[in-house]
Amino acid sequence: MADSFSLPLRPLIEKRDRPDTLPLEIAQINARWGSFRDVNEDTLRAKIEEDKNRDPYSDDDEAEKAAEDVDSTERMEQLYKRRAEIQQFAMQAHMETLFALDFVSLLLSKHTPRQAETSMSTFLKQVAPLGSLNSEIVNPPPKPDAVGQDIKAVSRGWRLQNFNAAANKLLKSATRLETEVASESKYWEEVLAVKEKGWKVCRLPRDRQALGVQYGFMEATPIFRDRGLAALRRADDGSLILDKGLAPQKTRTVRVRVKHHDRFTGCSKVRSSPEVDSIESRILQARDTVYEEELFHELVREARILGSQRVTTRQNLVRFPISEEQEVLLDLVDADQDASADDSMESTEHDALADALSHSIRILLAYAHRQNLRRRTQPPPPLSQKRRHTPEYHLLRPIMAYLQHSSHVRSMETFLTDIYRVQKAAGLTCDFHAAPFSSVKLSRMHPSLPKVEGLVQQFLMPFESTFSGTLATPQSSFKVRIRTNPVAPPFGTLYDISVNLPHYPHVQPPSRIGLQKEAADVLTHFAMLEIVAAIQAHGSKLAKDSPKKDVTAPLTWEAAYPHHGELLALSSAGQNKKLKISLSQKELTVEAYSMRGLDGFARSAGAQSPKLRSQTWVPDQAGPVASLMDFVTEVSRDQS
Amino acid sequence: MHELLLFASVPAHQHHELLQQLAGLTAMQPRHRVERRLIFKAHRQPGMTNTRVGASQDLQGAELQRLNKMLNGGMFYTQVVGPVAKAEFGAKPASASSGGADVSMSGMEEKPSTAPYSYEDQPWKLEFRDIPEAGTRSAVTARLMASAVLPKGDITVPMNAWGYSFVSEYVVEGDVFVLNDIVIFMHRVLLYPTSGVQESHGPRRQLPAYRELSPLERTGSYVLQAAITVQDGANQEMMKTASQHLFGLREQLKSAVRLEQADRLSLDPRAK
Repeated sequence: MADSFSLPLRPLIEKRDRPDTLPLEIAQINARWGSFRDVNEDTLRAKIEEDKNRDPYSDDDEAEKAAEDVDSTERMEQLYKRRAEIQQFAMQAHMETLFALDFVSLLLSKHTPRQAETSMSTFLKQVAPLGSLNSEIVNPPPKPDAVGQDIKAVSRGWRLQNFNAAANKLLKSATRLETEVASESKYWEEVLAVKEKGWKVCRLPRDRQALGVQYGFMEATPIFRDRGLAALRRADDGSLILDKGLAPQKTRTVRVRVKHHDRFTGCSKVRSSPEVDSIESRILQARDTVYEEELFHELVREARILGSQRVTTRQNLVRFPISEEQEVLLDLVDADQDASADDSMESTEHDALADALSHSIRILLAYAHRQNLRRRTQPPPPLSQKRRHTPEYHLLRPIMAYLQHSSHVRSMETFLTDIYRVQKAAGLTCDFHAAPFSSVKLSRMHPSLPKVEGLVQQFLMPFESTFSGTLATPQSSFKVRIRTNPVAPPFGTLYDISVNLPHYPHVQPPSRIGLQKEAADVLTHFAMLEIVAAIQAHGSKLAKDSPKKDVTAPLTWEAAYPHHGELLALSSAGQNKKLKISLSQKELTVEAYSMRGLDGFARSAGAQSPKLRSQTWVPDQAGPVASLMDFVTEVSRDQS
Repeated sequence: MHELLLFASVPAHQHHELLQQLAGLTAMQPRHRVERRLIFKAHRQPGMTNTRVGASQDLQGAELQRLNKMLNGGMFYTQVVGPVAKAEFGAKPASASSGGADVSMSGMEEKPSTAPYSYEDQPWKLEFRDIPEAGTRSAVTARLMASAVLPKGDITVPMNAWGYSFVSEYVVEGDVFVLNDIVIFMHRVLLYPTSGVQESHGPRRQLPAYRELSPLERTGSYVLQAAITVQDGANQEMMKTASQHLFGLREQLKSAVRLEQADRLSLDPRAK
C-alpha cells in the first residue's frame, strides 16, 4: 500500500547556481584566517581538536582558579560585593518593570480606565491624570528594497525549515504507524489463533479496553472462577502476553505421596511444564495451575471437616492414614522443583497407588464441577436470610472409604482363605464365595445421566462387599456384608454377619461389628461351633451304622459345652471321654481326654485328666494326615 | 413467599438471538419447558358463608375469625400447572376412546411404542398468585405467591371439592434460564384448537398435535419474565436485595430488551 501511493512531503529546493558565492567565501576565509598560505590541513585539524577538547565553561574555571588564590577575608569581601551587585541589578530590573507597567497602564487608561487604574502606582496617579496618554498607529517609512529582500529571504528560509520539520514529523509518524500496524496485526493474528484453538476470548469486565481469554472453570468456587480469566496484552513488538495480574506465574500442581512405615514409597508423577513457550502452552499452564490450586483448596477445606477421621492439615499439606502403617500426603508443589524432592523417595513401590489417587481426586473435582452446574441450573430456592453453605466436595472421603473398604475386604478374604484351608486340611467339606464391591453395578446407572457422571456416582455411594459360604455341616451357612459409607455418618466400615445354623437356632451374631478382629473372632467361633456339630452328627451316624450293640460300639459324642468346643462321650463302661476342639486362623487342634466319673463335667478342661491323644491340622501339611472325622472315629472306637 | 417480577416483550424475530444472548449471559443451555395450565375459579359454596351463630356478643375465637376471613374474603382464580413433554402432543390415545373416565386405565395393557399421553399420570402443581402490591415505590412487580404440589391424575375432582371450578386451559411453551437467584422464563401462550365439543367441561384428556396449537399473540412474540422469589416478603432488606438483583439484570439486558414493571391490574387474579 505504501508503494502504490507516495506523497512528496519535503519542499522542493531548486538548486540555483550561485556564481558569486565563491568570492564571498574567500573573503570570509581571508578575514578569519588571514592569508591562504597560513591555512593548511594540519592547523585546521589542530584547531578542530582544540575546539572539541575545550570545555565550554573553561572561562569560568579560570576565574574560579583565580579566586582560589585570594584569601578568605578578601573572598568574603568579594562575596558581599557580588551580592550587592546582584541586588542592585535586581532592584534595577524591578524598577524598570514598574516603570514599564506604569507606562502601559497609563497608555491603557484612556480606553479602560477602571482596569488600568488598578495596576498604576500611586505616584503616577498623583502626577498624571487618567487617560492623558494616547497612542496612534504611524505608518512606518518605506523600507529600502534590500531590507525587503532580506526579510523575504529570511522568511523563506524559515518556511523551508518548517516544511522540513513537518515533513520529518510526518515521515516519522508514518514509520511509527507502520510498525504499529505490523505489531497490531501480529497481535490480532495471535488472538485469532487463540480463538481458533477454541478458547473463549472476551472483553475484560473491569478493563473494557483490553481483551481477555477465559481458561478457567465456570463451575469452580468464585475465587477460582474469577481467576480463570487473564488479559491478553500486547508487547511492544506485537507478541501476546498473558497477563494474569497478581497471580503467580509458576506452575503448581498437587503431589500425592505414600508413606509406608515413615518412608516415602510412592509419589505421583508431576507433569513438568512443556519447553515450548507458545501462548497456547502458557494458557494451558495457567489453566492447569488454577485447577490444581482449586483442587488443593478444596482438599484442605474437606480435610478440615474430617478431623475425626485422623485427617490432619498443615499449611501446605493434607495427610490422611489409610492403614496402620500407611499414610497419604497431599501437597501443592511447584511443577519444576520435583527434582529436589525426588531424593527423599526411598522406593517407587507405591507409585501406582499414588498415581491412581492423584487421578481420582482430579476426576472427583471435575465431577463436583458438573454437580455444581447441575445445581446452578435448577430453579433456586427462595431468597432468604440464611446464607447458603457450599458443601465440601467429595474428594477425600470416597478415596478414603475405598481404600479402607478394600483393605477390610482383603484382610477378610485372607482370613477366610486361611481358615478354610485349615478346615479343608482337616477334611471338612466347606467353601466360601467372595463378592468384593458387589455394590458397584455399572449396569444400574440411570439412563438420563451422562456416562461419566454415572460412573463416578457409583463410587460415591456406600461400598458393600459380601462373603458367603458354607460351614462344616452341610445345612449351615453364613453371610458377611461389609459396608463402608463415604458420605454420611456413621463413617467407617461395618460388618454385618448373618448365619444360618440349624444346630444352634438361638445363636445369633452381634449386630454392628466395627472391628476386623472382632468379625474374624465371630466367624472363627461359628466355624468352631459347626465343627462341634459335625462331630456330634458324625458320632451319632457311627452309632447308627454299627450293626449291633456290642462292646466295641463307638462312643456317642454329646456337645457338652459347644461354645468352648468341648464334647463328651459317656460310655456304659464308665470310661468317659472328652474332646476339646480349638480353631484358629492357623490351625485346628483336637485333643481327647479320658475322664473318670461324671465330676469331669464340673471341672475345667482337664489339666489333671490325662490326655489321650491329640491331632493338629495346619494348612500346608507335609505328609498325608488322617481327616478329622477319621480321628474322631478312631477316638470313639478306642475303648481302652 | 413473595415474587418480584420484571417483564419484557420479545418480538418473534428477536427470539432466537435473545436465546443465544441469554445462554451466554447465564452460561447454561436453555431448558425447554412446555406446561399445561388449567384455570380454576373459586366459588362460594352455598350456605357456607355465615359461620356466625348465636348472639352477636359472642366473642369469636381467633380460629373462627380467621376462618371467617378466609370464607368471606376475596375469591381468586388460580392456576394448576402440569409439565408435559413435547412428544406427548398428538400422540395416539392409548386405546380407542370410549369416552369413559377410565380410558387410560383400560388402556394400560397395550402400550404403543411412542409414549402416549397419560392424563392419569399427569403431575400437577397449584400456583396461587395474588394481585401485585399497589403503590410500591420500586419499579418491580411484587406479589404474594404460593405453590403446592397436587395429586396426580384427574385434578377436577379434588379442585371441585375445595371449591374451585374449571374455567379453561391453555399451554405455555418456553425456555428457562437461571442466573443466580433469578429465573428467566421466555415463554408464549398457546391456545388449543377450537373443536368446540369439550369446551369448559373439564381439562382435556388427550392432547392435540403440537402444530395445531396457535399462539395467543398472533405475531408469535414471546414474553420474557424475570422472577425472583423471596421467602419472607415482610423483610424489607431481602425485598430490596431482590429488586437490586433484578435491576442488575435489567442493566445487563438493556441493549437487548427493556425489562419493565407490568401493569398491576392486568395481573389481577380476583374473581368478581
